[in-house]
Amino acid sequence: MERMDQKQIDEIAAAWASRKFGLVNEMKLKLEHVSANGVQIRMPFNPEFCADVEQTLLHGGILTALLDSAFGLVNFCAIPGLLTMATLDLRVDYLRPARSRADVIVLAKCYRETRHIAFDSGTVWFDGDETTEIARGAAAFALTRGDGAMFQSPL
Amino acid sequence: MTPESVNSHIGRVPFFRFLAISVLTIDEMHAEAEMAFSPRVIGNPQKEYYHGGIIASFMEAMAAIVVKPEFDPLPAKPINLTVDYLRPAMKGPLKGRATVTRKGKRMASVWTVSWQESETQPVAEGLYHFLLV
Repeated sequence: MERMDQKQIDEIAAAWASRKFGLVNEMKLKLEHVSANGVQIRMPFNPEFCADVEQTLLHGGILTALLDSAFGLVNFCAIPGLLTMATLDLRVDYLRPARSRADVIVLAKCYRETRHIAFDSGTVWFDGDETTEIARGAAAFALTRGDGAMFQSPL
Repeated sequence: MTPESVNSHIGRVPFFRFLAISVLTIDEMHAEAEMAFSPRVIGNPQKEYYHGGIIASFMEAMAAIVVKPEFDPLPAKPINLTVDYLRPAMKGPLKGRATVTRKGKRMASVWTVSWQESETQPVAEGLYHFLLV
């Protein structure tokens, strides 16, 4: 199947981001750039996601969840006719403590797609400090293709 | 070290409160825990499955707890993780167990598993490394 045009990708991404419940909704994600080549998403600081009483250190788990979410979106943007997917495995390196109240930015790419599998990688940093990576992740997904994809029209 | 004392520490960690996690049993090498389902943890809005990142976070929380149950004051420092997703986690509580595979002076490795109906049908398994210094 041919690659999608930017309008189709924007529609999928808008539907993906506009769900009314669930973790993506809790994270209040804001799309910055979406294309078949990658997605960049902003997660505003949320004290509920912290590991410490002072609420200045993000728990690693929320960065893992952010990477997993961004992988989901980039697969929908990069793979035409994707109906649904299942995460096979996920690896995350926590490169330094996530100590900041700045927004978090994630950049995710699908770097290889086959009929059945997608391979994704992503990187996470605090807004304003792009060269200081705080986490890096990679995941593989089992793909299900077909009509009636989850985010082809607004939910 | 009792589940009650560990759960009182858990109450001080904002993200563990978000996950609604509670420890059921704990000893030097193992911890068993449970998390409640809520709409906030959904990843797939059509089927209402748990978000994969929440399952990974739940297992990371259990692994950090067994390595450093007193927190003092923060949970153990995570280095990295690998999670293998085996089946979807549906509406309902998620249970799990963390087992220390190695704990030295500097590092700890912890294996985790999570399930819903039966431990023989795991939802996910995970390997977590922590820095203890």
